[in-house]
This record gives sequence, structure tokens and C-alpha cells, in this order.
Amino acid sequence: MLEVESLTVAYGGLRALTNVSIEVKTGELVCVVGPNGAGKSTLFKTISGTVLPRSGKVLFEGVDLSTVSAARRGHLGIAHVPEGREVFRSMSVMENLEMGAWAEAGRSRFAETLERVFSLFPVLAERRDQLAGTLSGGQQQMLAIGRGLASRPKLMMLDEPSMGLAPAVADTIFESISQLHREGEMAILLVEQRVAEAMEYSNRGYVLQTGEVILSGKFDELSKDDRIRRAYFGM
Amino acid sequence: MLIEQFLQALTSGILLGCIYGLMCVGLAFIFGTMGVINFAQADFMMVGMYLVLAIAGSLLAGTALGAFAPFLAAFLVGPLMFGIGYLLHRGLIVCTTGLRIANQIEAHQAQLILTLGVALVLQNGALILLGSAPASIISPLSYAAWEIPLLYNDFNVLFVNKAHTYNALICVAVTLSLYWLIRNTRVGKSLRASADNPTAAVYMGIDVDRAHRIAFGFGTAIAGLAGGLIVLYYPVQPLVGMDFLIIMYAGVVLGGLGSLIGAFWGGFVIALVQQLATLVLPLQLQNATVFIVFLLVLLLRPQGFFGRTVDRA
Ligand SMILES: Nc1ncnc2c1ncn2[C@@H]1O[C@H](COP(=O)(O)OP(=O)(O)OP(=O)(O)O)[C@@H](O)[C@H]1O
Ligand SMILES: [Mg+2]
Repeated sequence: MLEVESLTVAYGGLRALTNVSIEVKTGELVCVVGPNGAGKSTLFKTISGTVLPRSGKVLFEGVDLSTVSAARRGHLGIAHVPEGREVFRSMSVMENLEMGAWAEAGRSRFAETLERVFSLFPVLAERRDQLAGTLSGGQQQMLAIGRGLASRPKLMMLDEPSMGLAPAVADTIFESISQLHREGEMAILLVEQRVAEAMEYSNRGYVLQTGEVILSGKFDELSKDDRIRRAYFGM
Repeated sequence: MLIEQFLQALTSGILLGCIYGLMCVGLAFIFGTMGVINFAQADFMMVGMYLVLAIAGSLLAGTALGAFAPFLAAFLVGPLMFGIGYLLHRGLIVCTTGLRIANQIEAHQAQLILTLGVALVLQNGALILLGSAPASIISPLSYAAWEIPLLYNDFNVLFVNKAHTYNALICVAVTLSLYWLIRNTRVGKSLRASADNPTAAVYMGIDVDRAHRIAFGFGTAIAGLAGGLIVLYYPVQPLVGMDFLIIMYAGVVLGGLGSLIGAFWGGFVIALVQQLATLVLPLQLQNATVFIVFLLVLLLRPQGFFGRTVDRA
């Protein structure tokens, strides 16, 4: 469903991604891990179109996205839940969800979406009229995910959803992601620093380092790799 | 005698205040939705004033509308100016706004120079095309007033000018409608989302440039409408915008940058101060008084009447 083919991205003269290729199939949960500055967020931004690649291309359901504007991509079924949540702080929880449902697919099924989001994150239902900027970090992350769901995406990209959250809250978030995966309505591409959790929930993964994919495959295989064991498990 | 004068000045202050309020709302709307400080805003008013002269003076002249022709003309000017603003953003302003901006400060400089350029083109274009002689239009309503008797005094009445009253009501209605649109409609919410977090708005599939075009169109339309209404008591000439520019900026800052209703009150207060100042000070000091009040408010309440005390994180 998503194919990224030898993508190279640079900010000015500085390369952030070099020849990166990844693939996500329908219904899969794929994880991208890597140290800070590896280019994970850049990869997501290039897929959703707010950063333009120097070379390489992104195919979504077989369609080359190079001529599709960033705003149009949201209408094709790609939802990007960005790093740092980026909720609309001056708008209420409900309004944030409505904005998530901006694309036609989301708008026509908004009532159903609300039910689903509120059952996944009951706290959002209680706080539906609260300004998003006044929510706690964990609640904002739930809202960001809910807002992504509201577009009824075929592919949801989650950039470090557990960042800065207390372990218990992070567990709730992981649990909800895993539930979305099990429901199987969409493919999920996840960037995570918590590699152990990410591995537990994902089908496959890619390891990104200084802008290059250095390893990829199923996680039980990845975890056998010495470099990964040293870097992420301290073994 | 003094009390009657006071009440009379208060009345004109309130009526004029509604127009100043609307002027400020237009500027605040553009700033609040796209972060652009539009230096051409007062000149859009000038264009609106001339358009009302043209429409009411020729197209609607001699129609059954009679005294109401200028008001109707002002309403026609709204959509016309919306189109002008929309296209202007599409062709020019868009180059300096939205996601293509990497550096906010550089973007502000570019916007400043660009809108200043638009202002100069409008002013000089009007000078070339229309000459520098002031022109004005009057409706019979400009001379008509309701006379409200003062209860405690049989000799004096309070004059409430009819044209100014209709103007004021229109301004309040337009401000409230705009506020309602922005709070409650889908497009209004998308404008707020684009202002709040443009990158996230794009992820939602919102076309942020289009949102900005609409916002700029609305801001321009409001300037045109405010100009079209004020022309009933203020003669127009190509540089008339200068007279309003300072008032608009002071009003928007007083109201707390970015707040619509705050901007309305900011303009309102300025008109009140201006009119009441004429009671005790020579006319020439009207604007100086405005500035003294402006500075006092900034000293005592730097965030403006309606500004947030807490910064957005
Ligand atoms: N807008 C930008 N301008 C210039 N350089 C950038 C920009 N955004 C990212 N970079 C650089 O690109 C590289 C990759 O950044 P990116 O944010 O993609 O990393 P990341 O893997 O998401 O890191 P983290 O785990 O810290 O979120 C970094 O070296 C970063 O400094
Ligand atoms: Mg990142």
C-alpha cells in the first residue's frame, strides 16, 4: 500500500535521508526505530508531503505522490500523527476531532468515528469542550491519535506517540495502537524510541541510522543482530 | 449645559466607535488568521469609499432606494472587495505566507514590504486616476436625526443622527456575524486551525493557502465595507487611509492582538476618547489624546483589553 523508493532528502546542504526504501502492506504494523537525528520524522514528513525529496519517490496504493500536494494527501487516506502531538491548542477537543474529519471520508462517518475515539479514549469524551492546549501531555497524544483516526485513514503514521509520557500512560497509548492494529482497518507506520515495546507490537521494522536504513526485517530476527542488541538492549 | 454636551459627545463617540470597531476587526482578522500585518488595510478602505461613491452615485442614483442607496452600495462593495482581496492573495501575498515560509521573521519583513507596496500602488493609482480633490456623498439621512428629550431638562434634546445609527448597527451586526462564522462554521474552524498550527492543518488535508485566501478576502471586504459606511461622514481622497491607519493599529493593539471582539472594543474606545476629548481639548489634539490613552493602556495592561496573559506554548 505504501512504497517508499530510494528517497533522498536534504535540508539545504545537509542530507537527512539517503536512499531510503521502505514498504508497508495493507493491515500491517511496521515500526521504524533509530537514534535521535536519524531522519525518522523527516521520512514521515516526506511521505505526507510537507518536506520535498531531492530524489526518489513515494507511492501510495500504486499512485506516485510526487505531484500530489501535501493537503491532497490527507484526502487520499494518509493520516500523520506528528511528533510532539501538534494539536490545535486554541480549539476544543471536539473541534480538533472535527478538523481531523476534514477529508470527505472522515466527514461522512464522523458520528461513528466519535463513538470509536471516545471508547478508545474515554477521557476525551469527558473533556470534549476543553481547549486542547489545556490537556495533559497524555491526553493531547490521545487527541492527536483520535484526530488522525477521524479522517478514516488507510495508513496512519505515528511519530513517537510515547514521547515524554509517564510509563503507565505510554502503555495505554501502545495498547490502543495495538487494538487499532488488531481491528485491521488500517495499516500503521510507527516511529518509536521504546524499541522493546515497538518490537512487541509490530510485524516488521526498519532500523534507521544517520539517514540510512541499516537493517530491516522481522523483529525477532532484528533482535538477534549484535548492533541492535548493543544499541537498544544493552546486551 | 455641560451634561448635554457630554451626552452628545458620548452618543457620537458610540456611533463612530462601531465603525472604528469594524475597521479594527478587519485588520485583526487578517492578523489573527494568517499572522500578516496588512499595511494596505486602510487603503482598502479608501477603495471601498470610492466604490460606494461610484455605485451609489451612478448605478443606484435615482432608484427607488433613495436615502438607502449608500448603505446598499456599501453592502455591494463587501463582496467586490472580497474578490479583490482573494485575488490579491492568490497572486501576491501567497508568496510570503503559509508553509513555504521557513523563517517567521524574514516572512514578516517580506509581508511588510509587500503590503506596504500594495498600499503605495493603491494610493498613487487613485491619485493618477481620480485626482487629489476630496469627494463625498451624502444621504438625506446624514442630516436626519432622532431627537431624544432629556428627562430632567425641557430645553434640550439629544440628537441621534440616523445615518450614523444605521452605520453603527450594520457594523455591530457584521462583527457579530463574522465572529459567529469563525466560531461555528466548518470553513471558519478551518481558518482557525490553519492559524493555530498550519503544519497540522495540512496533515488534516486543509488547504492552508486557500484558508488564507479566504481570510484575506474577508479582511479586505470588511475594510471596504467600513470605508463604504464611513464615507457618509468623511470625504474621500486618495490618501484618506492615512487618517485611519493609526486608529486601526492602535485599536487592534488595545484590543489585544488577534482577538476579534477585542479589536472591536479597541476601536470603540478610541472613538469614545476622540469624541469626548473634543469637550475639553482643541480639535487638533484629538489624535494626541488617542495616543496618550493608548500609551496609558499599554503601560497598565500590556496585553491589551482582551489579550491572553499566558503565552501559547
Ligand atoms: N527543518 C530542518 N532544517 C534543517 N535540518 C533539519 C530540519 N529538520 C530536521 N533536520 C535535520 O535532519 C536530521 C534528521 O532529523 P529528524 O527530525 O528527521 O530526526 P528524527 O530521527 O526524527 O530524530 P528524533 O528521534 O530526535 O525525533 C537531523 O540531523 C536534523 O537536525
Ligand atoms: Mg523525530
